[in-house]
Amino acid sequence: MKVAFPYMGCVTAYDWFLEHLGHKVVMPPEPTQRTIDLGVKYAPEFFCYPFKIMLGTYIEVAEKGAELIISSGGCGPCRAGLYGEVHQRVLDHLGFNTEVVIFDSLFQDPKDFFRKVLSVKNNTSLMSVLKYFSIGFKMVEDMDAIQRKINILRAYEINRGDFNEAFSKIKKMYRKCESKKDVLKTTVEANAMLDKIPIRKVREEERIRVGIVGEIYVIMERCANNSIEEKLNNLGVEVETVQDISSWVKHNLIPRRFNKEKSWQVIEKAKREYTPLNVGGHDLENIGWMIDFAERGFDGIVHCMPFGCLPELVTRSIIPQISKDKNIPILSLSFDEQISSANVQTRLEAFIDLAKNKKKKPGLFEEFEFKEAAIV
Amino acid sequence: MTIGIPRALLYYYYFPLWRSLFTNLGHQVVVSAPTNGEMLEEGIKQTVSEICVPIKVYNSHVIELLKKDVDFIFVPRFVRNNGREWYCPKFLGLPELVKYSIPEAKEKMISFDIHPKIDDTFDAKDFLPLCDYLNVSKRDLKNALKKANEDFLKFRAFMEKGYDFERALSALDGIDNPPPFKKGALNILLIGYVYNIYDPLVSMNIIQKLRDMNVNVYTFDMLNEKFIRNPKEKGKKIYWVFTRKIYNTVRRMLLDDEIDGIIHLTAFVCGPDSVVGKLFELDCDKYQKPFMTIRVDEHTGHGHLQTRIEAFVDMLKYKTKNAM
Repeated sequence: MKVAFPYMGCVTAYDWFLEHLGHKVVMPPEPTQRTIDLGVKYAPEFFCYPFKIMLGTYIEVAEKGAELIISSGGCGPCRAGLYGEVHQRVLDHLGFNTEVVIFDSLFQDPKDFFRKVLSVKNNTSLMSVLKYFSIGFKMVEDMDAIQRKINILRAYEINRGDFNEAFSKIKKMYRKCESKKDVLKTTVEANAMLDKIPIRKVREEERIRVGIVGEIYVIMERCANNSIEEKLNNLGVEVETVQDISSWVKHNLIPRRFNKEKSWQVIEKAKREYTPLNVGGHDLENIGWMIDFAERGFDGIVHCMPFGCLPELVTRSIIPQISKDKNIPILSLSFDEQISSANVQTRLEAFIDLAKNKKKKPGLFEEFEFKEAAIV
Repeated sequence: MTIGIPRALLYYYYFPLWRSLFTNLGHQVVVSAPTNGEMLEEGIKQTVSEICVPIKVYNSHVIELLKKDVDFIFVPRFVRNNGREWYCPKFLGLPELVKYSIPEAKEKMISFDIHPKIDDTFDAKDFLPLCDYLNVSKRDLKNALKKANEDFLKFRAFMEKGYDFERALSALDGIDNPPPFKKGALNILLIGYVYNIYDPLVSMNIIQKLRDMNVNVYTFDMLNEKFIRNPKEKGKKIYWVFTRKIYNTVRRMLLDDEIDGIIHLTAFVCGPDSVVGKLFELDCDKYQKPFMTIRVDEHTGHGHLQTRIEAFVDMLKYKTKNAM
């Protein structure tokens, strides 16, 4: 069967995993303006931006003949839990013969979950599935680590574009792996490649570090966030992003009691200080990460969300308070199909100027009215 | 003590229950004035700009209550119904949306989590934190809640007879003024959340406007809960309480030949409605039911609403005439 998946995070690894299960993979192209236009045209007008981009991708892969689209779901109260249903309805309405299979949490409905696993595993033995999964997951983990490294080093690159070029080479290298040993070897090679790229040397006190928090799809996908990481890097700023596929999987798949992920620790922090309850998305986690960034001495935080995302809007209403309590500048940006690159660029430049000035003259910032400091 | 209840959001569904509960506990209930433009201005200034208009309305009522100098403001957090369904995320984050937007309200808020088993009667344990806030015994709370539940069911019975919120409320107080339902008039299902369709400013009195055009208006809260439960079928269900109610109301009414058309009144950037709105469109298309969406926010003008509903009603009249 021809199988596809949404373009999100480490697509190389999904491609690799599904191919080894014996599927014919229709590789989703990286979302372009056409993808977004398609999604916007057929999606409900006020549905969130990630939904629209995913729908665009689905239509593109359906045009290429994909029969099965695999994605993950949720169970409320955020809208993301109903993505699959509405995607399916729209695809049916457009006359495509494509099925959308949604993997919900294993603990919610184990029977349904395993039924779906059986339908996807395609007569591969369960042992092999686990083997491929562990190799695939290792790949995701390592590539995410490399991405994180790039987000820091790219701030100081001398020849613009070196790191991006290296990363696209690295992706191809991973795609050729066959065993766990290959993955480990590739990781060593990839790191060596990155270390060879010439970078500017900066003194420790001159480093500007910015954390990115927000809705998972928007902060992970550069088509959705106007390449915000790269824009910040080009301004000479180191970036740390809180969400990627490997940490999401670890956060959700390991039972709570044995889960030592930092994301759970920061949630406790947020619960203690600001709000007792998760409203739906990653809001509690994001508040926690903001506290964490402030405690680690970051110079600013950028909060990214899709336009109209309710859980993140609840977070946004708390942001002025966090900014005031923790004495850290926070910029909150909404993304949808209307956003322009120049808008994001201008706002980031102004924000980074503010963060730099605050670092130079720490007293200056305190004179501002705090509501203005958190640019909401 | 005086307890302020903002005339917004679930006030339009649960007010009779809350009023009865607090009065039976020996407290005085103060309700903010009906929404007006000036109040809303202040709410808009304090609230995050991107959020839906009902929250802005809610915050303006909280500000209004602060001006009235009440002792407490009741801001409940409705979380989950029956352990399965959620309330819209804005209800889950309501206390945060209020206290971080209006810092003065923080001290006065009565706020606790409510997880009702079924949404027409409440257990004492849902309201247990009230004992600490108001210094009452658990026994008193139980007795008061029992009476409150009875009052609420009486109120619901009026609603199910086709009363709108204001009429049902005054009927509960002994002034019975049945709603005008005329034989042979057009029947329109006005679908939308209680806090949109009954708010005088947000809805611009759409119910009265429709009645003035000689139309019988039906809303989702006129149906008994048992008609709008989720049907037993495969697939993922709508998991927000009120969204499920309006969705199943539409699905039920699509099969009803008496209903001539459906108007969906929704707030700009309403998350749950962005999902079911599309489903309504597809379903109404399938059943050939005339359907119109009216999207409102703080900028909507009267003229816009009047023109659109007039055109819709004219179209329906034309259609029935031609059919005969």
